[in-house]
Amino acid sequence: MKTVDVIKRASSSLKNAKVRTILTSLAIAVGAFTLTISLAAGEGARNYTDKLIKSNIDPQILAIAKNKSFFEGGFGGASQPIEYTSQTETVSRPGVRTITVLNQSDIDKIASRSDIEVISPAYNINAKYINSVDSKKYSVSINQYNRGVVKNVIAGELPALNQPLGKYQIVLPEVYVNLLGYEKPADIVGKKVTIHLERTAQYTKEEIQAAINAGPGALQKLAAVESKDFNFDVIAVIGKNITAITTDTNVQIGNDEAREMSEFSTIGTESYQKYVIATAVVKSGIEPEKVKESLINEGYGVQTAKDLQSLLFTIVNTLQGVVFGFGIVALIASVFGIINTQYISVLERTREIGLMKALGMRGRHVSRLFQFEAAWIGLLGGVIGSLAAVVAGSLANPKITDLLSLGEGNFILIFVPWQIVGLITALTLVAMLAGFFPARKAAKLDPIDALRVE
Amino acid sequence: MIELKNIGKVYGKKSNSFRALEDISFKIPSGSSVAIIGKSGSGKSTLMHVMSGLDHPSEGEIVVDDVNIHKLKGKDLDNFRAQKIGFIFQAFFVQANDTTYNNVALPLEIARISHSSRKKKITDALKVVELSDKEKQKAGTLSGGQKQRLAIARAIVNRPKIIFADEPTGNLDSTTGEAIENLLFKLNKIEKATLIIVTHDSDLASKCDIRIYLKDGKLEKIQGLKK
Repeated sequence: MKTVDVIKRASSSLKNAKVRTILTSLAIAVGAFTLTISLAAGEGARNYTDKLIKSNIDPQILAIAKNKSFFEGGFGGASQPIEYTSQTETVSRPGVRTITVLNQSDIDKIASRSDIEVISPAYNINAKYINSVDSKKYSVSINQYNRGVVKNVIAGELPALNQPLGKYQIVLPEVYVNLLGYEKPADIVGKKVTIHLERTAQYTKEEIQAAINAGPGALQKLAAVESKDFNFDVIAVIGKNITAITTDTNVQIGNDEAREMSEFSTIGTESYQKYVIATAVVKSGIEPEKVKESLINEGYGVQTAKDLQSLLFTIVNTLQGVVFGFGIVALIASVFGIINTQYISVLERTREIGLMKALGMRGRHVSRLFQFEAAWIGLLGGVIGSLAAVVAGSLANPKITDLLSLGEGNFILIFVPWQIVGLITALTLVAMLAGFFPARKAAKLDPIDALRVE
Repeated sequence: MIELKNIGKVYGKKSNSFRALEDISFKIPSGSSVAIIGKSGSGKSTLMHVMSGLDHPSEGEIVVDDVNIHKLKGKDLDNFRAQKIGFIFQAFFVQANDTTYNNVALPLEIARISHSSRKKKITDALKVVELSDKEKQKAGTLSGGQKQRLAIARAIVNRPKIIFADEPTGNLDSTTGEAIENLLFKLNKIEKATLIIVTHDSDLASKCDIRIYLKDGKLEKIQGLKK
């Protein structure tokens, strides 16, 4: 019997048992629905992550830490304690165990490499407040200006991409416009704001002893808090970028000012000129991966933009795997449904099988007939489930986007046609496999016995 | 020509064995009509199964047109049945949910007859049994006589050399049964196919050229066979 005739016969047999076929297909459809949604969610999440990375991180950028193990076992936490030597410099951070840090000579060494364009340590700045003339004082978090990221400028103007900020220039997030006493973002552009820093000075034993000897006045002076105001010109106000990783409440200043402020805060402390991490830009035309390898060989911990992407993708893939697992469980349940349905079908059609074999149909063609029937069930279930997922997902997408504030045009469910076609094909094959045992039973029936069945 | 040489058939093993056929030998000329007659349990159906290649004999051999059919291996034996044999059963065995047309198409599909030549063969077969107007009708909706005519169309559609009919009128009333008998004998003459009818109906048997009587699995007598 030709395969095309077997397929047609299989389709015709299913049409003759419509209710049973549809019910069995619906079981497959549940699995297909879950798997399609899982694939779409994975694709959407990866796509969104990719957008985040691309719009926030220059692909030439490297994150560099003192120790190789810095990026192992999650950001900032070495999986194993490291050996202490007299050269080991560490800082303690709340919530993070003691970590080795980069010092100025590390920064200078990396900066002198021919494949590095620029390196900026992540300066630790503890500002007390920000204010403008006659405004109240507000808490402030400060970031170094990232010249490689396109920003959503709503007033003023930023330097061209990859150009640094000018001396004592500052970029404010929109949230500060009203707080600092201005009505519209454009009103604050060109105005001055002040960032106030304070520190408690660190003294040597000798200095402290001298103050004790000098009396209470000298001691009071010793304990006084030193403060310094840093004045900046506002050059632009930026709005929330829908694909921004950083928060929208951080102000941004140039590297030199960040360094100055950091050194003011930390001078005399164990944190002075110590950096947990630094970002370096690899010169254009040089593979960041190669520079990473070279730095790792020198003992540094290095992460590229691609590594960060991989890390985020791993998280997405893990979550997708969990949902996919549920789909597989549903699918396994439906496979038993197919096996059961096909066994019943073989029992009901024993005489038909007997007739076909008497007429010369080969056992393997009888087997194929039942396997193709199962395949049709799988195909139908796959199509129903996938279509339902596409319809439901397309309807839900705008609501999910609103709920998660992903921004217009960003969808968490992205249906990829080839994935859906692949899934339906896989389900058809799985169903065909499920039909194997009933089909084998049909193929092995003795035609004489089969024809005798009442 | 169909030739049976010392055919025996034993079911089961050793102490549980049962001999259904014993030392049966005869020759049937091509194109003749043959009745295999006997009471229930006489071995009629077993003989038909063995002669048609559905079952293997325990002893002896069956030669059809110089081919020992039980020396054929699986695929060749299936092909032999698909190309040379037609079956008509007492219980019709039509596929009730399928159309008349598709029921008749089944043997052609099994015999891998090309799509292009199928339609004419099916139309011709349905015309012979006067079911041309029922082509698209579901087989389940046909009357008993129509179902048996459909079974006959299915049996003759591939122009087999031998048609086996197992109690073909057993499930029909006398008038319809007689019409079916007449149709079978007419086809036997027109198609020149050997018609082998298994029956215990002596009236039907009397219409056949050759009558083979079985009793307790043994050949009792043969009538009508020219020496």
